[in-house]
Order: sequence, then structure tokens, then C-alpha cells
Amino acid sequence: MQKAPYITGHLTEHCGDDSYGTLDGYLQRGGYAAAKKAITEMTPEQVVDTVKASGLQGRGGACFPTGMKWSFMPKNTTKPKYICCNGDESEPGSFKDRLLLERTPHQLIEGLLIGAWAMGAQKTFVYIRGEYAAPATQMERAVEEAYAKGYLGKNVMGTGFAHDIVVARGAGAYIAGEETGLIESLEGKKAQPRKKPPFPAEHGVFGMPTTVNNVESFCHAPHIISRGPQWFRSMGTEKSPGTTLFGVSGHVVRPGLFELPLGTPLDTLIFEHAGGLREGRKVKGVIPGGLSVPILPAGQLDVPMANEALQQRKSALGTGGIMVMDDTTCMVRVGCVISWFYREESCGQCTQCREGTGWLHKLMERIERGAGSMDDLDVLLDVADKMEAKTICALSDAAAWPVQGLLRHFRADFEAHVKHGKCPFPQSFEL
Amino acid sequence: MPKLSIDGQEYEVAAGRTILQAIDDLGLLMNGVDVPHYCWHPHLSIDGSCRLCQVEVEGIPKLQIACNTPVKDGMVVHTTTDRVKRAREGVMELLLINHPLDCPICDQAGECKLQDYAYDYGVPHARTQEPRRAAKKGVELGPTIMFDQERCILCRRCVRFCREVPETGEIGVFDRGDRSVIETLPGMPLDNPYSMNVADICPVGALTTKDFRFKIRVWFLEDVKGVCTGCANGCNVFLGVANNKVYRYVPRRNDAVNQTWMCDAGRMSYKQIGSEARLKLAFVRGANGLLEPASTSAAISVAAARLRRVIDAKGPGVVAAVASAHATNEDLYTLRRLLEALGTETSGVAVPLGAHDDLLVKAEKVANAAGARALGFGDAQAVVDRVRGGGVDALIVLGHDLLDPGYAGDPSVLSHLDTVIVLDTHRSELERVAHVLLPVRHAAEKAGTLTNHSGRAQRIQPAVEPAWEASADGEILARLGAALGLTGFDGKWDVRSVSRELGALPGFAGADLAGVGDLGRPLSSGSPAGALR
Repeated sequence: MQKAPYITGHLTEHCGDDSYGTLDGYLQRGGYAAAKKAITEMTPEQVVDTVKASGLQGRGGACFPTGMKWSFMPKNTTKPKYICCNGDESEPGSFKDRLLLERTPHQLIEGLLIGAWAMGAQKTFVYIRGEYAAPATQMERAVEEAYAKGYLGKNVMGTGFAHDIVVARGAGAYIAGEETGLIESLEGKKAQPRKKPPFPAEHGVFGMPTTVNNVESFCHAPHIISRGPQWFRSMGTEKSPGTTLFGVSGHVVRPGLFELPLGTPLDTLIFEHAGGLREGRKVKGVIPGGLSVPILPAGQLDVPMANEALQQRKSALGTGGIMVMDDTTCMVRVGCVISWFYREESCGQCTQCREGTGWLHKLMERIERGAGSMDDLDVLLDVADKMEAKTICALSDAAAWPVQGLLRHFRADFEAHVKHGKCPFPQSFEL
Repeated sequence: MPKLSIDGQEYEVAAGRTILQAIDDLGLLMNGVDVPHYCWHPHLSIDGSCRLCQVEVEGIPKLQIACNTPVKDGMVVHTTTDRVKRAREGVMELLLINHPLDCPICDQAGECKLQDYAYDYGVPHARTQEPRRAAKKGVELGPTIMFDQERCILCRRCVRFCREVPETGEIGVFDRGDRSVIETLPGMPLDNPYSMNVADICPVGALTTKDFRFKIRVWFLEDVKGVCTGCANGCNVFLGVANNKVYRYVPRRNDAVNQTWMCDAGRMSYKQIGSEARLKLAFVRGANGLLEPASTSAAISVAAARLRRVIDAKGPGVVAAVASAHATNEDLYTLRRLLEALGTETSGVAVPLGAHDDLLVKAEKVANAAGARALGFGDAQAVVDRVRGGGVDALIVLGHDLLDPGYAGDPSVLSHLDTVIVLDTHRSELERVAHVLLPVRHAAEKAGTLTNHSGRAQRIQPAVEPAWEASADGEILARLGAALGLTGFDGKWDVRSVSRELGALPGFAGADLAGVGDLGRPLSSGSPAGALR
């Protein structure tokens, strides 16, 4: 894998250096100063307020304000409070947390300490997806190092603040990336999202107040504490400040990670940073934020990569996983792949998701085979509508939105399948 | 108490309840306010997965599931809007795309929530061309339950029931997505004392009982409200009746007694009603020492003559009675009056004991021990002791619980008695020593009240009519009293007037047939025994 993104920022500037993953290397670059500052010079409320002021949005896909989430943790409780760091990174197209876990584990530990101080949490569970063997090994090693040198444990950096970190491994399910699915999995159960209420801040891991945040969200925290919220707001857009790690994959010359300010135009990312497409190929469609967000057509590549701008185009920033598809691509096959994925990964609790994901996939397959009818296109949209915003978690929406996006922008592809009775894109990837 | 508006009507509801719970508390669920639901069950934890109970709550953009949305003061809920209607249609359509639609051969047809809700909230046509999910059919989950995986809609009520009620946890959901299936855990068949309840709570034909399946179409059944007589708990049941036959017991909801459950042993006790062992004729022991069939009237005359002879010879003190706690309060009240008119005080009730648990099953394996005690019947052991001591010449026995090892154990204890008069629903070893045998009605064949272990009087009513001449114990005893020429006995016995008479006594105040209602009524403090004497 890449040791560092092609374009780096505050999160990744040193991560090409192997020593940055060690405690000594991290300390040499000023590591743990922000955590020490937070714990010794700031009250928990000040830390929460600073993160709120920075405008940091969660980087796990929902773009929920991190500072606000931290403030939901109950203040007056006798129960232990927990943090869950979501390193499940199961969204297809997303591969940023993997790099941060593997190359910058101490940056994450420092971010977790800041979060723990702010929320008064005793323990953090870093949940890493089962497939991420190397990142988990690196994280475990870094946690051991931090314990050995007094950066974790009963007396963090001599401040008297106590915090423990447990590294936990997933067993391989997309839905373990949903915060309550993650909690269930962490508790040793099947990863099935919990109904809300109660919300995790009230009843989370093992029934204790819990905050779940993405790996990257925590990694921004040390930089916000040491350089201040205004510095963070100097990057990105008004509503979506800071940088993020964009992962570009698909039909581009230079796929990989790019740390860039939010709001960077999509076409800049694709053509300037990711090297554009192979010669003679044109963009047909781009999924801008991981598999679950609606696709954008070639005509909309000028969109700034920030959630508010993407939502205006009826898509979303998601996890910033950009998947580029060139003009050989059959969009019905794309629909088959996407709907197969969600059918496979639905946990099966809610009726709409369990049954709807399977139906969408069967419809997509039939249309791709050339056995579909024009009515099927309406059925696709109707089923997607019946699945949207009606279930315990967002997997059902995640399965519905791509279908809506594909039919919004590429209905002609679907109609061509119906008219010709076969797939008119012989050059497309094979199913 | 928060105020909640449902479809324009304002209600006050208890704090801390969800919308669906509040509607249920008000008694309006599917009974004025229709919020269809599959996974929610009043006595199981909230699952929130079927998504059928979605309602519109003003101020919240998304539809909310009524089962898990806490009521807030001033909340305005709509259950009949187009959005709600469409959401229900969506759930119904999606539940049906993989359903085998095999209603013609499905035993649940007629009491199937998938059928009912499909008619009420679904769309009348199918849009799927794809083959439906094929899965296991006719799976034996355990000794009592059969499972059809294709019909299952994965509401997971059975899973939660096994985890939360008997706490045995035999059932789980395996795999995920549209491959999800209900299975028993490996090496752990569904085998617990409450297993058959899963068939009741299964909204579809996925779980059926081996006992009832394919016996009769449910639309031929009339549901008669009654009470299980298997133990002192008095679980409320519906007796499923057709062709003058009881086909099954299913639990009837009574949150104060059995919630919505009953034990398997109690459920199977309906078989005693139509049992081959029923006593169907009166018998009188002839001069040759053999029991000979007789009409009920003739048998009563013989019984009266024998009793009169004993009393004339030795006085009423040698007459004793063993009451049955299977008999109703009205029967036992009549027995009490008979004994007092006779002038004997030797009586007791036989209460056989057995296994019990913390859930429903009580140790006392009879339905009306508390009623018998309230009516002044002590333990029958005192009667047995007196019989053994030679102080009894004539014995009136209701039922055959006296043969329980805890009491006489063996009928030979009674073999030296001059007169043994037995009133029973079933044949028993008492035939060896009885001089008069009189058939009486089972609880499913008569009206009356039974008092459960907690002192709650509950009503039974005739569900079937015996095909032979049989009366309630009380009526036989009343006729016996008349045959003996006792004051206050004219041979007529009407359960309603007896019940009213009983209901006027301290302790039983208001607990007459009309007063107890469908869900029973706790007996008040105070004892009728004093008033009786």
C-alpha cells in the first residue's frame, strides 16, 4: 500500500516516515503535546468548545459535528463512560482510516486521549475491521508502547488522568461500521444495529454511555487543540472546515489517497491529482463518497467536495471515497454490483432492508440479462422509495440511494438494456 | 401524566411508555386505533424491526415506529395519513415478495396476521417475477412445534419469547440479509414447558403445534372464553370449539394472571374433556356386589336412601365429604350447604401437589383450591384420618383426587365404609369401593366461577355439551339434598342464582358470574364461612 498520500496535509505530512509510527518518532515531531495541553491546561468543556468552534464534522460518512456529539455524553453519571473509535472502514471506495491506523497510530492515540479528557471517558475501544490485519498489528504495538512509556494507563503523562485503550478486531461485516452495529459486534454479538432510542450516549457499549467516532475524526483533534479552531477553519469551506483524506479509485491513472481541503472541486481531484483517465477515455459517472452515495454524471464534476455542495446535487460526501467510471462502463452492471453488495451485507432485521435489498438486486440482474421491462425501472424506484428513511439504520438508505442516482442520471442505459434485450456495453467490466 | 393526541383525539397516558404501548394501555390497539404490527408484542421486549407500526409524529420529519417512540407530553400522532398508508403498503409488499402464498394448505389461514394485514393494508397485486425464496419445510423444532421457514417473516417474536419468558433461548436468527433464517441452536431442540406459546405468537403459519395442526380449519372454531383447570394459576384461555368438541386451548390475554402465556401441560389438558376415561353413566352397586348402570335419578335415590339409613342408625356425625378443587365455587357452596343441612362437620378438600415454577405453573394441580378453602373446606387429610380411625360410615366424594398418594393413595382405605358416593368427571379406582357413581360435568361443560391461587374468582362457561346425561356437581348435590328431604333443598339448582347467593356473602362479595367479568375479580377479604354457619 501507499506509505503516504500523494498529497499530504496535517494528518499525513510525516506518515511516509516509518519512525512516525513509533512513540519516539512521534514525540520528535511534537507528538502528545496537544494531549498534554488539553489535560493540563484546559477543562473538558474548553476542549469540547474548541472542537465545536473548529467546525470539525465526523469523517465516518454522516458529517455530524464532532464537538456536538462529544457534548452529548452525560456529565453527571456514576457509570463508566466509553469511547468507541470506529476503524471498521467498511464502505467500499474508502481506504483512508487504514493508512491512519497503520502509519499514524500515535496520532490516533493522542486524539483519543483528547476525546477521553473532553468526555471524561475511562476507556476506549478501537474497533478495527477484521480484514485490516496490518493496521491492527500497528495499532496494538503503538498502544503497548504508549502503556510502557506512561502515555496510557492509570497516570497519563504524569497528569493523574487515567485512560485505557483496548484494540478489538471485527469479524467482517459492513454493518459493523454502523455505530450500534459496531457496539453489538464489540460485545461479542452479531453486528446488528440497535433501535434508537436509547442512543449510545445513554446506553452504549455494555450498557454504558458511549461515543462512537471515526478514526480520522479523532486524528484531527490534536491539530485543532495545538493550532486552534481558526487555523482549522482556514481550510475547507465555511460549513465543512479542514482537510480530509480523499480516496480516488476506479478508472484513473493514479488511484490513491489525497489529503486536501474539503471543498476541493471533484474535477481537480480526478484530473489534476489522480492523473485523469486513460487515453481516449471519458468520465461517465463518479460516485463521490463511497458506495452508498448517489452517483454523479460527467457533467457535474465541477462540484466542490463538501457535503453541503454535494447534497445540492442530490449526493453526499460520505467517506470521501471517490470511484471514477469511464465511458466503457455499463451502469446497469454498476447497479448489479452495488445492489448485490447491500443484499449481501444487510443484517436482515428490518423488513424493508432485508427484502428490499434482495429485490433490487434481482431486478438489476434481470435488467442486465436483457429480460427487464420498462415497468421494472419504475418498480426499482418505487422499491427504493419504500426502503428509504424507514429502517433502524441507514443501510437501507445506502442501498436505495445509489439506485435512485443511477436512474436519475443513467436511465438511458437501463432503457437500452430493455430495448435491445441484452447489455449494450460489451466492453464494460464483467460481473 | 403526558397528554397524547392520536388522530385528533386527546388521551392521557402513563409516563415512560411508547406510542404503541400507550395505545395498548388505553385498550385501543386494533380496537379503535389501528396500528398494525408484527414484531411488537405486549409481553416481549421491543424489537423495532418489522417497521409496520410506523406513524406520523408532528414535528419529526421521518415516520416513527410507534412501538419504540417514547410518548412526550403534547405529542401529536397520526395513524391514518397517506404517508403512513404508503409505508404500510411498502412493508406488506416486501414481506410478501418471498412468502410462498400457500394459504390453501397453511394451517394458520384464518388467523394469520399476514393474511389479515395484507387485506387491510397491502396492495392487491404482486409485482415480482423472480422465484420466491426456497427454504426448509416441515422442520421439527422440538417435540411440540413444527416450523416452515418459507412462511417465516422474521419478526423474531419466538426468539425473544424463548430468551425472555422460559429463558431457555433455544431459537436464534442465523445468517443475515434475505438469507436470514430462524433455527434452533445446534443440539438444542425447542423443548421447554412453555414451548407451544411460540405458535400463538407467531403471526404467520411458520410455527404451528404438532397437536393442533391439520385438525380443523380455524374458521370453523368458536372461541369460548374459559380458564385452564390444570393448576391453581387459572390461566385464561380460549377453548376452540367446533362440532361440540374442544380442539384446543390457546391462552387468552389477562395481564393479571397469565399475560398471554400458558404452559404446555395446561394447554394439552383439553384432551381430558373428550377423553375415553370420562364417566358417562351413573352406576349403583347391586346386591351381587357389582356396579350396575342406572339413571341419574335412580342413582340419586339410592344414594339418598343409603345416607338416610346411615344417619338414622348412627346420626349425621358419621357422614363425611371430600370436596374436589376441580369443582366450581358454586358447586362447593352447594356441598357446604348440604353438609350443614345434614349436620356434619367432617369435610375437607383434596389438593394434589406437583411440580411448579416461577412463571405460571403452580404446585396445586387443581383450579379451585383457594375457593374451596374460602368456603371453609380444610385439608382432606383430616377426613382420611377419620376414615382410617373408623369414625366415618358414609362418604361423599367429589372427584378422585383423594386417590393422590398425598391422601388415601389407594381406594382400599375406603373399602370398609358402609356408603361411598362418588361424583366424578372421569373413571377412577374409586369404582372399586363406590356404592353410587354419578357422572358430572367437566369445567368446559358448565358455568361457574373458580378461584385461583391469588384469590381471583374467574368465570367459566359451557363450551361443549356432554353427549350423555351429566350435571354439575352442585345440581347433583341439590337433588341429593331434596331426595334426603333436607330443608332449603327443592332439587332445583340454577348456577346463576347460586352464584348470586354466593356473591352476596362476605369474601365473595361481587364475585358472582356477572360480577367477575371476562378477566376475573379478586375476592375481597373476609370469609363466608361464618355467614354459612
